[in-house]
Amino acid sequence: MDKLSGILQTRFGHTTFRAGQQEIIEQILDKKDVIAILPTGMGKSLLYQLPAYLMEGTVIIVSPLLSLMQDQVEQLKILGEKRVIAINSFLSFQEREIAIRHLANYKFIFTSPEMLQNEQFNLALRNLSIAYIVADEAHCISQWGFDFRPDYLRISNWLQSMKAVNVLALTATATGEVVEDIKKTLRMKTPFEYIHSLDRPAIAYETVEVENQQQKLKWILGRVTSSEGPGIIYTQSRKKTETYAALLREQGISVGFYHAKMEQGDRILIQQQFQQGQLEWICATNAFGMGIHKDNIRQIIHDHIPSSVAGYMQEVGRAARDGEQAIASLLYTTTDVEQTFYVAMQDFPEEQDIQIAYQPAYSEVEQAETTTRILAYWKERLSEQATIELFKEIKQKKWQDIQKFYTMLRNDTCLRQQLLQYFDQVLLEKPSYCCSKCKLDLAGILRKRTVENKFEENKNWKDRLNILLPSKYI
Amino acid sequence: MHFHQILLFIIHKINGQRSENAPYYLLKGKKSGQTIQDVTYFQLHAFFSILPQLLKEDYDAEVNKLFKSECIQLKNSLVYITEKGLEALPHDKEILFNGWQYRGREQLLWKRLDLVVQTLSQFHANEKKFVPNQKDIATQQFIRDFLIEHNFRQFNLNNDLKQEIVQLLENPSLNDLHRTLFVYRLSGYNKTGLTWEQLARYFQLTDMNTKIIFLECLHNMLDNISSERSPLLFNLAKDIHIDTPLTDSAFKTSQLFEKGYTMDEIAKIRKLKINTIEDHVIEIVSSNKKFPVSAFISKEQEEEILHLSTELQTKKLTLIKNRLPDVSYFQVRLALTKGEQNHG
Repeated sequence: MDKLSGILQTRFGHTTFRAGQQEIIEQILDKKDVIAILPTGMGKSLLYQLPAYLMEGTVIIVSPLLSLMQDQVEQLKILGEKRVIAINSFLSFQEREIAIRHLANYKFIFTSPEMLQNEQFNLALRNLSIAYIVADEAHCISQWGFDFRPDYLRISNWLQSMKAVNVLALTATATGEVVEDIKKTLRMKTPFEYIHSLDRPAIAYETVEVENQQQKLKWILGRVTSSEGPGIIYTQSRKKTETYAALLREQGISVGFYHAKMEQGDRILIQQQFQQGQLEWICATNAFGMGIHKDNIRQIIHDHIPSSVAGYMQEVGRAARDGEQAIASLLYTTTDVEQTFYVAMQDFPEEQDIQIAYQPAYSEVEQAETTTRILAYWKERLSEQATIELFKEIKQKKWQDIQKFYTMLRNDTCLRQQLLQYFDQVLLEKPSYCCSKCKLDLAGILRKRTVENKFEENKNWKDRLNILLPSKYI
Repeated sequence: MHFHQILLFIIHKINGQRSENAPYYLLKGKKSGQTIQDVTYFQLHAFFSILPQLLKEDYDAEVNKLFKSECIQLKNSLVYITEKGLEALPHDKEILFNGWQYRGREQLLWKRLDLVVQTLSQFHANEKKFVPNQKDIATQQFIRDFLIEHNFRQFNLNNDLKQEIVQLLENPSLNDLHRTLFVYRLSGYNKTGLTWEQLARYFQLTDMNTKIIFLECLHNMLDNISSERSPLLFNLAKDIHIDTPLTDSAFKTSQLFEKGYTMDEIAKIRKLKINTIEDHVIEIVSSNKKFPVSAFISKEQEEEILHLSTELQTKKLTLIKNRLPDVSYFQVRLALTKGEQNHG
């Protein structure tokens, strides 16, 4: 057995690499810059985890999504790696001080783009021997990416301040335009590019045009009560996650809801309940899904048009991690497209916001936090007029994007093919269950609901405690 | 106790002497002189800071319900309890809160218990890889040390901890609702705890009342933890009971008093207004009745004020001060605070 496979087995418990993994890892070990685009659930984490064990020094992982960072740290700890830490705003001042002083003790250091501006942290980093730097969720670097984080752009200057060290850029979704942005920002000259097909053959796509909101609800109730999950129903408002859950519960479905306004403890519990199969369905906003490790999700239902194709692919991609057949259904009305644009633009700075931001007295004017952060970044770099133009352009592009998505849903062309085309990829082979435009045999996909409707069991605290902590019965 | 009952209870105590917002600041645990002094005047220690996250809109909604149902009323911006309100008071309920003592730190015990039960449950099932419910490093570190110290690989810890939890939960002051909420919030191997909403739905409570009842349980458990009878939980409750329940600023002031500085000197040293130092004195006296006050008020003045307060049946400063032109507001506050201490 060669070295790579050996570590794969002893450290990670896998016997074989998935497509592309070995190639990419070899390039990293060869000290090359790498861009890897792999759909969610195709073993992205292994790419930055494994080479660490064959190289001297520490791995720095820059990740713009705090909740994801937390999850990655936990996953490494679960693999038995103790030398891992996340340095971000979740740490108290004191905890951060201690961590920075002992930076050399860690093999994996996760951090956020915002932290890269911390002088003390940078000083400590420069004294460190670094194996390589990982830019996770690299599409957030590009303003054309669906999840643009302006602070992430600061990584460019930061990289320059570090000693020459190679970079691994990871993302699940990137158009050609976004890839170019990533290369430029990360100062990559001739990176090794690995682009995995974003196609997920095990997921069939279904689009359903309905008359109104009432019919969406009827459709969802019909589908969920007649076929099996586990599944996620994505909707746009917090209120709706709760209403859907209540209505489905009335039908005896074991269902929960999830949105960003719930307290963190409860969000963790719902996620765990779903993961462990105590809940069959989750009604959620797009806040749900990051860091979900569940292989057997069979259905994803959208009751709206998501505000970006990439976002949609990510949400849908949570299904069928086990490779078994799953289905993604998208319900829409002809007026939904305006609603989607409205939602997408909610936190988006208007011309007026930009003007305010450029006024000298501007400091603590009340603006949404993301708006403030985005504008603070551009204010350092562009004139007021240029910023206004830039945002006009981004806004226009967003509108075109949503329109394009809407057209894709409504025309007669194969949806799978169009989704790939959007990311400049070609569909090589159509699976037999493709999409509703290629004639979909639903009966072959949906498993008839056999799960017994669950009604809550009586609660007995002593019994429960004995189950949690089995030992002498009390 | 339910939320509206807590409000009625507090309003009954401050009857006609404070505005309808006073209970809000008390429940939030506002560290102002006024709120802290009210705690002592009206003997409301139990409720101080029990709902630090309380939103004003949620509070207002509940108060408005009480106005609508005519349990309370407003006269000259002061809130009164009505006959109907008196009837609705939770007469038979024991107050299980101990807010003045814990001030939110009870959550530390919860976090630790949640993590230790989850960990032991996972280890018992031989599933050592799991996602911890509690994410903060301090809690994780605490539990790691705790488990190592108690040799957790031995079977006993599981059982001993369970016995201690049961013993505390069986306290006759608690009922089965307390016990069930508490245990079903916990997680273990393949059994994830329930969210507030899930528990509330099952017991047909509001989310708020579910959290309040859970908190009663937590406070009562903390009150009854002892190193003899529940040594494991005693260790898990480390740093939750503290000797001086003073705010940091009042604590600094009290240290300077101990060194013999006068009020004026302290104000100068700390660059604070004399009013603030007065607030601190009230706070210090609230929590320590032995604190000498002879430098601020004579025994005669103190008695005069208390006498008048009883006679007029009021704790309103203006009413008392108007009858005694020679004493200051501060002295009235001090005497009333001392007075409550002696009774309580």
